[in-house]
Amino acid sequence: MATLQLDKLKKCYGEVEVIENLELSIEEGSFTVFVGPSGCGKSTLLRMIAGLEEITAGELRIDGARVNDATPVERGVSMVFQNYALYPHMSVEKNIAFGLKMLGLPKDDIKRRVRAAAETLQIEPLLKRRPSQLSGGQRQRVAIGRAIVREPKLFLFDEPLSNLDAELRVTMRVELAKLHRQIGATMIYVTHDQTEALTLADKIVVLRDGKIEQAGTPMELYLDPANAFVAGFIGSPQMNFIPVTATGIDGGIRLKGSEMGNLDVVPVGQGWSKDMTLNLGVRPEHLQVGSDFPVKFDIAVDVVENLGGTRYVYGGTAGGHQVIAETRADAIPRPGDHLTVGFDPERARFFDQQGVRLRNALPS
Amino acid sequence: MIGRTPRWIVPIVGLIAMIWIVPIIGLLVTSIRPISEIILGWWSIQEFTLTLDAWILVWDKYPLAYAFWISCKIAIISTIIPMLLAPAAAYAFHFLKFRFRRLILILIINAFVLPNQVVIIPLFRLWRDLGMIDNIWSVIIPFAGLSFAWAVFLVKNYLEDFPYELIEAAQVDACGPLARFFYIVLPNSLTPIAAVGILQFMWTWNGLLLPVVFLRDELPLPALLARIQGVYDRNWDQVAVAAIITTIVPLMVFIIFQRFFTAGAQTKSGSKE
Repeated sequence: MATLQLDKLKKCYGEVEVIENLELSIEEGSFTVFVGPSGCGKSTLLRMIAGLEEITAGELRIDGARVNDATPVERGVSMVFQNYALYPHMSVEKNIAFGLKMLGLPKDDIKRRVRAAAETLQIEPLLKRRPSQLSGGQRQRVAIGRAIVREPKLFLFDEPLSNLDAELRVTMRVELAKLHRQIGATMIYVTHDQTEALTLADKIVVLRDGKIEQAGTPMELYLDPANAFVAGFIGSPQMNFIPVTATGIDGGIRLKGSEMGNLDVVPVGQGWSKDMTLNLGVRPEHLQVGSDFPVKFDIAVDVVENLGGTRYVYGGTAGGHQVIAETRADAIPRPGDHLTVGFDPERARFFDQQGVRLRNALPS
Repeated sequence: MIGRTPRWIVPIVGLIAMIWIVPIIGLLVTSIRPISEIILGWWSIQEFTLTLDAWILVWDKYPLAYAFWISCKIAIISTIIPMLLAPAAAYAFHFLKFRFRRLILILIINAFVLPNQVVIIPLFRLWRDLGMIDNIWSVIIPFAGLSFAWAVFLVKNYLEDFPYELIEAAQVDACGPLARFFYIVLPNSLTPIAAVGILQFMWTWNGLLLPVVFLRDELPLPALLARIQGVYDRNWDQVAVAAIITTIVPLMVFIIFQRFFTAGAQTKSGSKE
């Protein structure tokens, strides 16, 4: 188990800065997920922590010690790669034992630890097979086995589930969570899949263009996003953004959209001004079909996605904005229908034109 | 039936194969008929006698067995050297970072355009001064040296497709640059190494120019073949015998190892394709 500090970490490829002055600390035994769109630098950051990528500037500390120039082994990390990176010419057993053999451990010790790892991952019957004789999920287990057998201080996962099919991905996700609970090591996990991030993480770090947009627990990010990017990235389907204009009233601000009624809010903190245009964000699961909401408007249904227990209605507002609303009613709306959707003002989040969050309270 | 080979394919392919095999049949027939019959053409059947005279004569008159032994020594040693060193060089050029990497690679690959003939005279003077004429190393050294250009190129090209994640995984598994080469890259590069071995063996086995120039008594088979052929002699039957003995080894090598030519890159990191 280890703590990790990234202090003004920077990575440049020539002139291009891919990681910019990154500050982050990761607690002992936590499960941290780096998430972000492709090219945001999350994999590069993981590889910098692993010791596979040089650090241009700044300091990386594991358990307080600077490890910028240490090898992966000296750092005490092990890594699971996206394509598993199993050695094709070795049996599963040898794959798992290889790292220990390179460290020069006694044979009995290696054997015992390989057995233990195989038992944890339930891959004992596969030990004599070659990687080419395994299915995707089995290869994934072997790759994890290779990582845990070293008993490292820090586990790194680079999109480990992205090559698996949907069903297996869910199973492996649960198993990873179990594994973390079982061995309690510090884990860092990179993914572009926000569902994986939400389900696995103690702490999510949302990255964009080499910068941290927000770091926090899954619920913090979901309920209290720092900006429109995080609000849009976390949660599926994506948050609805509806432009509204602000006018000043007594004791607050009145927001008016082209399609909906008035919504009065009390500004908290900086950023608000009268006569500004801003975006109102409300998640699809909070934009419900029905007319008994304080704020409501009509939509014309384009598409309905039926997920069994719940249905997502994709529709256009009178102002020409596309929104997604949720309904749990059994009656399935049809394309062309006109529906009234609404939300609780407590669920609304506000962002200025640059995407910065505008915090608010509601008038009592 | 879908996917079934059409019937006409077999006779056509058979015919083409026949055309290819005619010279070999000619060689064989020439070696077992008396010279008086061959003069009319090996295919003539006005008279048809079978005899092993040429085989016995060649065996008695020329040091065939010794030449065979010399050929083996030259071909095997000059094949093993690039098989060991080319993958190491290709690995270094492809995966390691060091100064002047590009320049050194270009220099080595440049030997590609250097034909054997160009090096003969300077090498001859060097070997003469060193007293190495008629020493098989005077042939092995240029054979191995000149092969590096294409051997390194061939293995390096193969490594272009080598999954880099395997190297990184090995790095995380406590492997230094040498361990990564010996434990990960080498065992997964058997295909290009075998290709280097087969090609180099065939070329060095059949090499004529360097042995003829640098060797006197330690002659390998092709050089001996040239000597048997002479200039004015009408001994086609004996030449055929020597040619058969010379070609039989590379032919066997090719037949045994041909799967390495057809086998594609078999290095897979175990990812789902």
